[in-house]
Amino acid sequence: MIGLLEVLEDFEGRVDVAKVADDLILELDDLLPAVEAAELLGFLKVESGDLILTEEGKQFLSRGTKGRKKLLNKRVSSLDFFKMIVDFAKNHNDEVTKKELLDFLQAKMPDADAESTFHWIVEWGRSSLILKYDSSSGKIRIMP
Amino acid sequence: MVPIIELCNVTKTFGSSQRPAIVLDSINLFVGEHEFVGIVGPSGSGKSTLLRLMMGLTKPTEGEIYYRGKKVQDVCAGMAMVFQTFAIFPWLTVVENVELGLQGKPFAERERRERALRTVELMGLNGFEEAYPRELSGGMKQRVGLARALISDPEVLLMDEPFSSLDPLTATHLREEVLDLWSDLSVAPEAVVMVTHNVEEAVYMADRVIVLTPRPGRIARDVPVQIPRPRDPRSSDLYRVVDEITGLIA
Repeated sequence: MIGLLEVLEDFEGRVDVAKVADDLILELDDLLPAVEAAELLGFLKVESGDLILTEEGKQFLSRGTKGRKKLLNKRVSSLDFFKMIVDFAKNHNDEVTKKELLDFLQAKMPDADAESTFHWIVEWGRSSLILKYDSSSGKIRIMP
Repeated sequence: MVPIIELCNVTKTFGSSQRPAIVLDSINLFVGEHEFVGIVGPSGSGKSTLLRLMMGLTKPTEGEIYYRGKKVQDVCAGMAMVFQTFAIFPWLTVVENVELGLQGKPFAERERRERALRTVELMGLNGFEEAYPRELSGGMKQRVGLARALISDPEVLLMDEPFSSLDPLTATHLREEVLDLWSDLSVAPEAVVMVTHNVEEAVYMADRVIVLTPRPGRIARDVPVQIPRPRDPRSSDLYRVVDEITGLIA
């Protein structure tokens, strides 16, 4: 996702999505997850087939690794979905097992594949320093 | 310029002495202080062998290699290597993999861990300290590879196709981060040597690009890239150099 923002910056902040895919020799389908992620975080907008870097996106890029993590932490923890997960864990003394979280996800979103949602949560949660996950004990800890 | 690494008339052959396969032929090159050198060439031109020779992982058949004026006899402690396939251990966590970069160095366990955590943070891997490689994307795995190389504060960082097995978006991002590190004198190694088959990547990142011929590898040209940093990967200046080099290889 950050790679995509950097490419957008090279194109001065606005470019046709097909051109990006072409430039990177990437199928459109392979590009879309990154587009969706960046859009969800407010780092880019999609307008009639163009990708536009937002002010937040520019600000994010202008920071170093540490600053980016901080901003990412702020953005991700403000997502309703993540708030729900964090609240759930807080009710369990900041620590839940994978099984508990899977059951919770299954109950909340019976149509979604709980296992892949779980992976997504761990990936994003780790990247934004919201949670830690130890796969050998299967425990998720919310970071203070 | 004071050379950090110098190769004098280096030839490397493999196989029997009656019918040797010549991989590298009469290579003369040097890598100077604060230089980022790219090595490009078609497959089979001995690019990786060249890196292995510099590090002392293999010996030249003929010729000499010097590191800071001293002949390279053994594996060089001042260098660290990053591999295309990451070369990280699946049964160790991120932090444990990174600590391996201090193997054989006299550090107490506590300092080892402290350094590892610092390097993990430098490579943007914080949050993933306890993760196992199977839980990581390709880009994250290569960050572990880089962190393991950088933890020992190497004087020279050798990279063998470091971005070639990553998807284009991830590669773009990681290239930027490596360049950021390079421009930060407090953490950057004295020199970087990067092997790649991607000419654009070499020109975008390096101060000088060495072009090898197909087997046996000889130096076809040593091309300085005098484009100020930060560079625009899509600028016409850059493409002029890319075209010049591609013309030599194709």
